[in-house]
Amino acid sequence: MLVSFRWLQELCPVDADVAEVARRLSLAGLEVEAIEEKGANLAGVVIAEIRAKSPHPKRDKLTLVTVFDGEDELQVICGAPNVPEPGGRVLFARAGAVLPNGMEIGLRKIAGVESNGMICSEAELEIGTDAAGIFVVDPGTDALPGTSVADALDLHDVILDIGLTPNRPDCLGHVGIARELGVLFGQGFKPRKAAGPRRSFAAAGAFQAGEPTSKLAPLWDNESEAVDTPKLPAISLEIADGDRCPRYGAALVSGVRIAPSPFWLRYRLHNLGLRALSNVVDATNLILLEWGHPIHAFDLARLAGPKVVVRRAAEGEKMATLDEVERRFTEDDLLICDANGPVAVAGVMGGRDTEIRDETSDVLIECAYFNPRSIRRTSRRLGLHTDSSHRFERGVDPGAVPRVLASASSLIAELGAGAAATTAIDRIAKPIEQTSIRFRPARAAQLLGTPVSKEESFDILESLGCRVAPEGDEALIAEVPSWRPDLRREVDLIEEVARVRGYEEIPTAVPRVHPSEAGTSGLLKFVDRLREAAMASGLYEAVNYGFVSIDDLRKARVSTDAVPLANPLSEERSVMRTSLLPGLTAAATRAQRRGATEVRLFELARTFRPTNETLPRESSVLAITLAGEHAGWIGGEQSFDLYDGKGVIQAILSRAFGRAPKLTIGEVPSFLHPKRSAIVTLASRPIGFVGEIHPDVGDDLELVGRVIYAELDVELLYALSEELGPMQARGLPKYPAVTRDIAMLVRDEFSAGEIADALRDAAKGLAESVRLFDLYRGDQMPDGHRSLAFRVTYRDPEGTLTDKRVDKVHASLAKLAGDRFEATIR
Amino acid sequence: MAEPDAVQTFETGLAEIRGAYAEALRAARSEPELRLINGRYVGPQGELTKLLKLMPKLPAEQRRQLGQAANALKQEIQSTFEEALQTIFRGAREAELTGPPLDVTLPGRWQMPGRLHPITRIRNEVLEIFVSLGFDIADGPEVELYENCFDKLGFPPDHPATDEQDTFFIGAAGSVDSESVLLRTQTSTIQIREMMKRKPPLAIVSPGAVYRRDDDATHSPMFFQLEGFLVDEDVTFAELKGVLTLFLRRLFDEHVALRFRASYFPFVEPGGEVDMSCVFCRAWEGDRERTALCRVCKGTGWMEILGCGMIHPVVFENVGYDPEKYTGFAFGMGLDRIAMLKYAIPNIKLLYENDVRFLSQF
Repeated sequence: MLVSFRWLQELCPVDADVAEVARRLSLAGLEVEAIEEKGANLAGVVIAEIRAKSPHPKRDKLTLVTVFDGEDELQVICGAPNVPEPGGRVLFARAGAVLPNGMEIGLRKIAGVESNGMICSEAELEIGTDAAGIFVVDPGTDALPGTSVADALDLHDVILDIGLTPNRPDCLGHVGIARELGVLFGQGFKPRKAAGPRRSFAAAGAFQAGEPTSKLAPLWDNESEAVDTPKLPAISLEIADGDRCPRYGAALVSGVRIAPSPFWLRYRLHNLGLRALSNVVDATNLILLEWGHPIHAFDLARLAGPKVVVRRAAEGEKMATLDEVERRFTEDDLLICDANGPVAVAGVMGGRDTEIRDETSDVLIECAYFNPRSIRRTSRRLGLHTDSSHRFERGVDPGAVPRVLASASSLIAELGAGAAATTAIDRIAKPIEQTSIRFRPARAAQLLGTPVSKEESFDILESLGCRVAPEGDEALIAEVPSWRPDLRREVDLIEEVARVRGYEEIPTAVPRVHPSEAGTSGLLKFVDRLREAAMASGLYEAVNYGFVSIDDLRKARVSTDAVPLANPLSEERSVMRTSLLPGLTAAATRAQRRGATEVRLFELARTFRPTNETLPRESSVLAITLAGEHAGWIGGEQSFDLYDGKGVIQAILSRAFGRAPKLTIGEVPSFLHPKRSAIVTLASRPIGFVGEIHPDVGDDLELVGRVIYAELDVELLYALSEELGPMQARGLPKYPAVTRDIAMLVRDEFSAGEIADALRDAAKGLAESVRLFDLYRGDQMPDGHRSLAFRVTYRDPEGTLTDKRVDKVHASLAKLAGDRFEATIR
Repeated sequence: MAEPDAVQTFETGLAEIRGAYAEALRAARSEPELRLINGRYVGPQGELTKLLKLMPKLPAEQRRQLGQAANALKQEIQSTFEEALQTIFRGAREAELTGPPLDVTLPGRWQMPGRLHPITRIRNEVLEIFVSLGFDIADGPEVELYENCFDKLGFPPDHPATDEQDTFFIGAAGSVDSESVLLRTQTSTIQIREMMKRKPPLAIVSPGAVYRRDDDATHSPMFFQLEGFLVDEDVTFAELKGVLTLFLRRLFDEHVALRFRASYFPFVEPGGEVDMSCVFCRAWEGDRERTALCRVCKGTGWMEILGCGMIHPVVFENVGYDPEKYTGFAFGMGLDRIAMLKYAIPNIKLLYENDVRFLSQF
């Protein structure tokens, strides 16, 4: 919210500069996010008097103007249609001045005539929005030529931008922030009375007999001249839904003339981010900014009845709002209606047909308190977030209705030269309960960790507007003011005390932490170990968004049975991922497009699958992708293949787990190459897969070359690690080992792994390891055959092996190879 | 059977070998050459070996003496050989030690480790600090119930407080109630889950991905938060300040100052935000000119770093704790923001592009 420092100083003068005020407000919870000085950037722009004007000799639309800038008479050229007659005053930027938009005014020739400066519009000086013509100084303004425009028009102000939290509706107006300043600077605050209209009339007869009213005259500062009550039909009010509209007030101003607002008002609205329109509408906006309480002005002549009915909409009921949009309502929406139908969406926006027009003469000013939830739902449903709904949905001050009406009717009467009724309709349909809270200083001290005295608490709560009374020795009872709906229980008051004193007054202490016996879950620690292991194994960690497009899933041939978002930002991110494949391979594709020769990525994140329960199933997955070439040492690059994938998985698992996995042939997901991929098993349990991406899928994903992809199921792995328990160490062997090699020519269909396993089994516990150390294919071999050479390490844990024994066992291995695998021993 | 010629041959042979071997061995310039020469004397076809094969033909009375002489010669050859070998080794070593150096600028040869994502790195750094203070780590689902994300945390129904967290909902668009399913907008959901599961005392930190419908230059629709809370009897705001001060000083710099401002989050009361002295212009060093020019803190010397407060009694009531008996504090921070501050990452989008040129810097 934008706040005028000058206005604050008018409402609650404090002896501090802007920076200090901003600091105090920020520390107390009203965070000042930006400070902008106004009127300071107009050096060289002065008041000038028109001395003569004549048409430009060559150009129709230009005027040659002679101005007096307090020092010299200068000739300038002006393109505006509204150059005043001699004697009129304008805003003149001297040569050398720099306008707020950065434009430097220089001596220029326009169509052959010299121009020594520029006569400015308010838009050019950024002191308003009117760009249709130059700014003509009001004759009533007392300013000699040569006076700086900032002084002459009184432009000096500083605007604070406060990022207001939604719990502080009381600070959505200047009065509320002034009140806060009064509290923070310890000097209290009393709202000023409204100035009061020059002319007023007794409202008797203007409102239907018996209507509850509030007297406004006592809230006005000045005596006003009493005029005759205008002849108007009596206005009636009906509140059909008191829960949603607990209080409704309406004031009356008669005989106004609609005209532009004076400059000071337009300038103030402009600085605070609102556009000036006409005096009555501008007045309602100024009241909104002053009190934080939205009001609405109806053209009484167009209010059928005249009658105001506050009721829920009928399903499907329609009305055009003043932004010219036809709105359709539901039974959950609250409307303001006249005798014929809706005239405003309560608390959100007025209707087109009853808004103030140029011909408006009598104005009915609405000031109400609506139920915040109701306003919010309507505002959300209509997609209409307005200055009004913003305040009502946070909760305006129901107690402020008479004061706001007094200010509003007085201001509107003043600006429109009308007369204000001395009383206003003020119906309380449902009393708004005042909250009383028991406050224990000892509890505050216990929560804050610093002493809190009863006396200090009393003073602070009272300064905030609470009515405070002691309750016994230990407590206070505070009745919360109507403008603080956020204060509901004791702890809210504890915050108020802490905040007003300042959080910096609270000391720092180190708590006694009682660590739990269970500690952090093993799964989380295991996940961490896997990440470290993947990194240590040469992979770079990727982090992708949890959502993808359904098309991504389809292209990747992973499950499209996905959890959908109801309100995605785009189709690209509209379902939760069922696999990490699309995200990770997309990263690989992007890297390849940028010319990366070697892509080694992993991601450890969740995938999401729909279930029959309310929440989907989230599974942690470790996914790996390798693309491009595995760099060797200076040359020797090699395209990544299955064995790189296998190697990295082995590295990760042996690091995180202490065990190396096995690869077995089995059914792999269809996005993998059917002949170049495998199931990864650990302790005979499948825990994932690894392989080349199916070339067709690779094409769809726009991958280049053979790309390796692997996934490990993290939860399965963790369960397995728990089941297997920690590594159990063995002592070192006591007896020496004997190694023997066995080489054989064997058909391709027999895998090296199964042969090695069979050899190990055949050694009946004497083979400590069977390691493939050579693989060879040659011309001299029959087709579909290869030569495999294994090194068998024999060791007997019970004693030293004799050559004879080893020879015998080794021979049995050779025999087995021949029998089972039809191998020729070489 | 003895042969008189054999003695002659044997003695001559020995004499010839004795006269030549030393020079021959010492002339060798390399180990293979030396071994070749050595083999000519003592190898399987070597001259001395051949002589020794004559032994059976020697007369028995001379066999012993000649045998000893031959063996002595063999040992001399052996020791000369070893001496020569040592000389060659020494020479080679000397040559290596005094010769031209290796080109040490050639690349190292090893499988280099990869890198952890900066979010993981910062998470680990942050967790390490809290774990050392006795906090446990906990986790929760990313797809959550509205109830856990808002209602139980004390967000009033139809309240603008939820506007700050524009939410992704799951399933078909429709009205929102406590059973609605959404992507969690904050890791505070874990507070609710852990408190419902366990009993005080609790000291927990919970990092995780969160989602909000914001996607612009400074917002990412998915980002990472870390929530922490401590619940026990007599936990105070002073202790909240103590823990956060310790944490930020350990994470950034032991000199950083903290500024606690009042603020509002529905699940804490009193609630606050913490500003930390700007770590880019090192505001605590008091160089005003440098701070005035700092674009990160915009000359203020402060940067907003996290939100915190005392856990709201309504939260305790919602999870079945007695708010008169227990108090607690909670705090939350954006890990993305902390990583960006700590590692000087210029743009949040870099965190989610997975560009190796970026990742390889960590």
